[in-house]
Amino acid sequence: MNSLSIAIPTGRLLEDATALLRQMGLPMDRFDEDRRLLVALPGSVRVLKAKPTDLLTYVEQGAADIGITGRDMVLEQRRDVYELLDLGFGVCRAVLAFPEERASELWQPGRALRIATKYPRLTMRYFEQQARTVEVIVLYGSVELAPLVGLADGIVDLVMTGQTLKENHLREVAEIAQSSARLVVNRGSLSRSARVAEFVADLEAYLARQERGVHA
Amino acid sequence: MRDQTVGEVAARRHLEARLLEVFARWGYREVATPTLEYLDTLVHGAGPGIGDRLMKLVDSGGEVLTLRPEMTVPLARFAATRLLPAGPQPWRLAYIAGVFRGQDRGSGRLREFTQAGIELIGDGGLHADAEVIALAAECMHAAQVSGAVISVGHAGYLRGILATLPETVAEPARDLLYRRAFADLSGLLPAGRALDALRMLPTLRGPDSLQRARPLATTAESRHALDALAAVLDAVSAYGQPVRIDVDLGLIRDFEYYSGTVFEAHGPRASMPLLGGGRYDGLLARFGHRAPATGFAIGLEPVLEAAATPGHARKTAALRYAPDAYRKAVRVAARLRDAGMAVVVLPEGVEAGESACTIAVTARELVVWFEDRQTPTTVDDVVDAVQAVLEASG
Repeated sequence: MNSLSIAIPTGRLLEDATALLRQMGLPMDRFDEDRRLLVALPGSVRVLKAKPTDLLTYVEQGAADIGITGRDMVLEQRRDVYELLDLGFGVCRAVLAFPEERASELWQPGRALRIATKYPRLTMRYFEQQARTVEVIVLYGSVELAPLVGLADGIVDLVMTGQTLKENHLREVAEIAQSSARLVVNRGSLSRSARVAEFVADLEAYLARQERGVHA
Repeated sequence: MRDQTVGEVAARRHLEARLLEVFARWGYREVATPTLEYLDTLVHGAGPGIGDRLMKLVDSGGEVLTLRPEMTVPLARFAATRLLPAGPQPWRLAYIAGVFRGQDRGSGRLREFTQAGIELIGDGGLHADAEVIALAAECMHAAQVSGAVISVGHAGYLRGILATLPETVAEPARDLLYRRAFADLSGLLPAGRALDALRMLPTLRGPDSLQRARPLATTAESRHALDALAAVLDAVSAYGQPVRIDVDLGLIRDFEYYSGTVFEAHGPRASMPLLGGGRYDGLLARFGHRAPATGFAIGLEPVLEAAATPGHARKTAALRYAPDAYRKAVRVAARLRDAGMAVVVLPEGVEAGESACTIAVTARELVVWFEDRQTPTTVDDVVDAVQAVLEASG
């Protein structure tokens, strides 16, 4: 029988991703809580935990057939994978924000800006579309800090509630992208493995039932 | 970027020779084009989207040049400007060429790789599509890739569905499909038959998919694509199938010039396609000479990975001479080389590197050493003696 390997991301999507796989009948046990990176499940299923920024690499290179990742990563990394389903959880937005008191002054046409972000390509594409000049500073965490200490004029980052922005006296001036968890699939796996196709079909049917349940 | 060892190059050359032989037997003759092309040429052929994926440089006159990212556009340019105006059609062309893409560093994707491929230019018939797919299957067989599957789709099926949408959403929908971002379609398109048909694309694979696709095909173009695909697959079946061939209506190739039948081969492990190709009837007209065309390119690196056929680097004999036997040694080496053997000549006491056997030459003696065994021989018999030892060393 064909094996099936599924990559799920550590971090903010981990709990919901694990719960979803449990709903799909995989005995996930306490995988979201423990420190193991790889578990073998009955029926030749392997589930691996990867850093959110690395997940698409595992799927693109075929180390995992299927993965769960945020649309933010898909848009940022533009990897050669199938993005098949919107899983509906992990909803958030990538926004451009500036310090409250200077926001309207900074967000003027023709002004060259320094923007700190974990999403350099998303940011550059947005500024290109807006025909504005930008210098991107890539940071790997706590991006909100950069404008407070003069490292950057503003930030591009994910927000869910906007609470973090408010606490750091930042104001959103534009939405750059909307994100939610997505099912991504390796290009070759979809062609050669009936099992992968079956898993995707089952998941899609499950999501459709959920949606009907919500609306009913 | 990576270096290739003696064994890796031997395996690649072996594969190249096999593929060129298959191409030649099907009437495809090798041509070559420059490694550098003008950026304008490639964008003209492959569309502006290709610009992001190129390695570019600027020549002394300020023209932007690119390292070719593939061979179909250069050969279309070549055929449309040089071959077709001059002579009768069709042309069956073959190539092996290094191609270059501007991949991100650390993405695990190669920036330089080798493609072997063919183009059948000037024949628009379904038999030509079938010939090219059958030849692709034959190449996978010749490359000894076990478990390869060739998936075949048709660009017209998708085009027919997109044609039912207003242009304002058809274009963004096409962009999403090129990125394989099926999950974003429902945010862009209103609920309806077009959305349903597009969302179904990734599932339309396997023997019954032509039947399943039929009710979703609401335009003449989509229906025509399904008929054409069925006819091509029927024609391919006449060849007998050394590898499995499957329908895959969700197959979307990376280049926008494809107009009809499209196909890809995947191996049991490799994540990147082993080969890809299809019909591109509109491409040559962009270079001034209208002609139908189809073809494919094999990625040698993924095939070598999937095939794991060892290449045989030729075994080398080390010929060591005593101080008084230099001229004799050089004469013996010439005989062995004439007989097709690989020989290095060096004085006694100098390291020989990797060698399969040693031949010791003194003014009076000639001895072939293999491991601990020694075989005395004469200048006249040295060819047979060395051959025997090299064959025995397997």
